[in-house]
Amino acid sequence: MRIEVPLPSLGEEEDAVRGGTIALWHVEEGATVQEGGDLLELNTDKAAFVVSAPVSGRLVEKRVSEGDEVSVGDILCVLET
Amino acid sequence: MSAPVKVFPAWIRRAWPSGAAFAEVKALLSGLELHTVCQSAHCPNHSECWGRRTATLMVLGNVCSRHCTYCAVHSGKPEALDQAEPDKVAEAVARLGLKHTVITSVTRDDLPDGGADHIGRCIEAIKERCPETTIEVLVQDFNGDRAAIARVLAAGAEVFSHNIETVERLHPRMRDRRFSYRGSLQVLKTARELAPERILKSALMLGCGETEADIVACLKDLLEHDCDAVSLGQYLQPTPKHHEVVSFLPPEEFQRYERIAYDLGFNFAVAGPFVRSSYRSEELLDAPFARARLSAAPSVARASSPAPQESAHEN
Repeated sequence: MRIEVPLPSLGEEEDAVRGGTIALWHVEEGATVQEGGDLLELNTDKAAFVVSAPVSGRLVEKRVSEGDEVSVGDILCVLET
Repeated sequence: MSAPVKVFPAWIRRAWPSGAAFAEVKALLSGLELHTVCQSAHCPNHSECWGRRTATLMVLGNVCSRHCTYCAVHSGKPEALDQAEPDKVAEAVARLGLKHTVITSVTRDDLPDGGADHIGRCIEAIKERCPETTIEVLVQDFNGDRAAIARVLAAGAEVFSHNIETVERLHPRMRDRRFSYRGSLQVLKTARELAPERILKSALMLGCGETEADIVACLKDLLEHDCDAVSLGQYLQPTPKHHEVVSFLPPEEFQRYERIAYDLGFNFAVAGPFVRSSYRSEELLDAPFARARLSAAPSVARASSPAPQESAHEN
């Protein structure tokens, strides 16, 4: 099954962090990642954040690249479980 | 073309919030229409703390009447008070099953008592609903109003905190002009006069351009104003419009300052890049001095603090 992985939301409040810049992918297309394993790093203004895989699977498609600005809810990649 | 990616030191790295516990806390707080400093201040510990089912509640709304150059909380004209907030705060603490909680607030210069009575009512509502839960209250300076400080103390939070935030030299450029370094120190001194056994705490951001001599002088000032506990953490710039980070101190530097704080005489000190005034604040209450204070005054200050009407304003 193919699962689209979004950037999880941090909260409903208008002042919550809404996204950041993709800094680094930790997994290449075709490679597998375990649930909870590091997928990529994202920079907000305050710090670098590691986004983890919500399920185990093979990364079949990256939808964002290093340097891209992303918002919560944007699809980061597709995992095949 | 994308802009060059900002590079943070290796230790300025956290987990992006996710997971069931995080989602549960998010839904609960959103349902109760409560604000948290975790969200409003873009705190990097958001994921870890909510994942541990704890949060720092920010009462009196989410609009601050002051504007400090390091803070992400919106400033402007605050909204009317939510009179149901004390009950909602107690409900959140009960539903999260918190053994310890931190209550903070925006500054409300528009309210005659700065919101002290409302903060007191929030503490009292938690104490009534969850008598075993320990509380740290992190307050503004109330313009030095002794009666306002007494009102908060009388509600009986185990820890009374007021953050000095930065060293004396940087105060004018980082804090709203209505705050003053000496005024903040006096808040702690006043709290000590009103509640001799209370645990008093303050916090300091590092990486804003201060020197070691500035930091040591600030720590000594806090001690001279009867502060028991201090936390030191890395300042992180919430948006490009805020005060810039002058330096990222490595974790070893924070450890060194923690030792310096103990050597100077603090009863409790904690320092680290991600230490915030409310981060793992329950650990303070496990310190031997804190246990001794609490066992000496089990019902903290309800009886020991003077009633607000008996206190004269200082200014």
